[in-house]
Amino acid sequence: MRIQIKLIANFRELLPPGSKNGIVELDLPNGTTVREAITRFDIPLDGSSVIVLNGLTVDLNTPLNEGDRITAFSAIEGGSTYRQGDDDVRLAPANPAS
Amino acid sequence: MYGWHLRILRVNLTNKKVTKEDVDPKFARDYLGGRGWAIHYLYNEMDPKADALSPQNILIFATGPLTATPAPTGNRYMVVTKSPLTGALAHSNSGGEFPTWMKRTGFDLFIFEGKADGPVYVWVNEDQVEIRSAAHVWGKQVPETTDRLKVETDPDARVACIGPAGEHQVLMAAIMNDKNRAAARSGVGAVMGSKNLKAVVVMGNKNPPLFNPDGMRDISVDTSKNVGIDVKKGSNLRIYGTAYVPQVTNTLGILPTRNFLQGTFEHTDKVDGVALKEQYLIKHVPCYRCPISCGRLTEVPDGPYKGKGEGPEYETISSLGTGCGVSNLAALTKANYLCNELGMDTITTGMTIAAAMEMYEKGYIPESAIGMPLKFGDHDAMIAMIKKMASREGFGEDLAQGSYRLAEKYGHPEIAVTARKQEFPGYDPRGSQGMGLLYATSNKGASHMEGDVAYEEVFGVPIKEDPLTTDGKPELVKHFEDSFALIDSSGLCVFLAIRYVFSKDRMVWPERLSEMMNLTTGAGYTPEEVMKAAERVYNLERLFLIKAGSGPENDTLPQRMLHEPLPDGPAKGKVVELDKMLPEFYKLRGWDEKGYPTKEKLQELGLPA
Ligand code: SF4
Repeated sequence: MRIQIKLIANFRELLPPGSKNGIVELDLPNGTTVREAITRFDIPLDGSSVIVLNGLTVDLNTPLNEGDRITAFSAIEGGSTYRQGDDDVRLAPANPAS
Repeated sequence: MYGWHLRILRVNLTNKKVTKEDVDPKFARDYLGGRGWAIHYLYNEMDPKADALSPQNILIFATGPLTATPAPTGNRYMVVTKSPLTGALAHSNSGGEFPTWMKRTGFDLFIFEGKADGPVYVWVNEDQVEIRSAAHVWGKQVPETTDRLKVETDPDARVACIGPAGEHQVLMAAIMNDKNRAAARSGVGAVMGSKNLKAVVVMGNKNPPLFNPDGMRDISVDTSKNVGIDVKKGSNLRIYGTAYVPQVTNTLGILPTRNFLQGTFEHTDKVDGVALKEQYLIKHVPCYRCPISCGRLTEVPDGPYKGKGEGPEYETISSLGTGCGVSNLAALTKANYLCNELGMDTITTGMTIAAAMEMYEKGYIPESAIGMPLKFGDHDAMIAMIKKMASREGFGEDLAQGSYRLAEKYGHPEIAVTARKQEFPGYDPRGSQGMGLLYATSNKGASHMEGDVAYEEVFGVPIKEDPLTTDGKPELVKHFEDSFALIDSSGLCVFLAIRYVFSKDRMVWPERLSEMMNLTTGAGYTPEEVMKAAERVYNLERLFLIKAGSGPENDTLPQRMLHEPLPDGPAKGKVVELDKMLPEFYKLRGWDEKGYPTKEKLQELGLPA
């Protein structure tokens, strides 16, 4: 099953070299879910990313079909919370929609 | 009092009288500042039925309590007046440096009344206020006007002015400040032109005293630090500016394409932030005290579209670019420079040309009327139209009225994609239902800045909402409208405010913002109180709309949105289901089923019932 992954703006850097226009094609076994496909890239699977399937808001456990396209972009300008004293950056709670 | 100066400068241009007035502290607290103060003066001092381009209209420049404080992005002002485009309310926001300098004159608000008998500019150097002749800069473009007025006042002064479009009272004329920043929408520049007011020049050292300077410094440093952490991780706004957005909206099928005939554009890669960065970006430029720095200085180095300036922003790409079917980035960038130089709102300019393109292609406007072919995608024709619009030359006279009046004149009102006669911004509401309700109810006509639920429907900030459903949208739209009335009254930039001084709940909550306002003013607000004040502001604006004759009967959307399903993309087959949302919205607002604020609601808010 062939599907496409499109990463927008700063997420493009996470794509393998040589990908064109932010898009990479993958050959995946039938039944692969959105989550399984997207974890191949270093994309935070929480509220700091927006991940859509064919442009639609879906559960990340949705199985993929031939020809599907997953698109992801960062919502990072709003995704992080920082409290004084925290050394590392904490991310907002996982997106309930995902 | 702190934070606010509690002083207003009133300039009567007819009799050249300048007065300085004090502001009642209780009023100051109840109406927040900025947009909130301004609607009070507009509502009480002008007849909402008066012609927007007559001397009866008043033009208000309004800073907020956080303007010119250490608050990051405390650099905004609002221009509030009656709009000649919508026939109702205009309140347009801008940043840059002018608003900070304006507040440092020692006044929170400027009110311009009447009409000068010839071109003038107003020079405010703290308490020294002069009305000077502007005959020598009348007809000049924005950059030249700005430079000349600085030379003859103070090189460190800041300038807000109109270009030729404002002088010709073109209905999409903007007020430009610091050359490239715009209070763009609803024709505020035409009002300034109708008063023969070419420019306002400001200078001063009166920073507002702060209630708790140490606390304000700490909270500002901490807020900037939070931004810095995100920027380090890779902020799209910093790297690409808003120009990264076309890829997002194209993915969702809500990118205005060819006057909203489509929701996806086949050449998005040619006009997005990546292309702009690779080809024309020189550097990012911030407004005053902004850690995000989303502005872009760009240059088209050679060729027919050679030029240098700021932009294009997303809203320009979705109007002059995809909206007109234009995929030539150099031409689109040049069109943006022209709009800045001539002083025009790129959204209404682009979408009016887009409507004309559709009417030309359908044979509704003959080539003889336009003087040339005007097909979608013809970037040279688009540039020619912009120049004609600014001077009302030939077909430019029709275009200068905006798409609503243009479409009506040529017998096809269904072509205009407007709400309250103002052109839609860059989110097709058929694929973002909450935006549909927002455009239909917005006090200033179609606008994303009135309560941008696209943050949640499109960008997942702070929580991702499904844009295709109407469920829960009335409460979200109402809450965002009030939250944006608060932001616009405070003096902060929305980009920072929504992400860093509100809570990260679905119903964003102004915890940090109210704290900042307290540290600045000492007003002791609770978050509930500032939200209530924002609701007061929103409802007073609604009363102005009703008196101006643009009440509930105009809470609607054009035919294309209600009856023509999107033909492509993920939202294919969708229209805006406004009737599913509007009754609940009225109820949540405490308005009657027809859309009029109830007596009880007005009493609760302390407004005239
Ligand atoms: S985020 Fe952008 S628009 Fe807002 S203050 Fe900063 S530079 Fe200006």
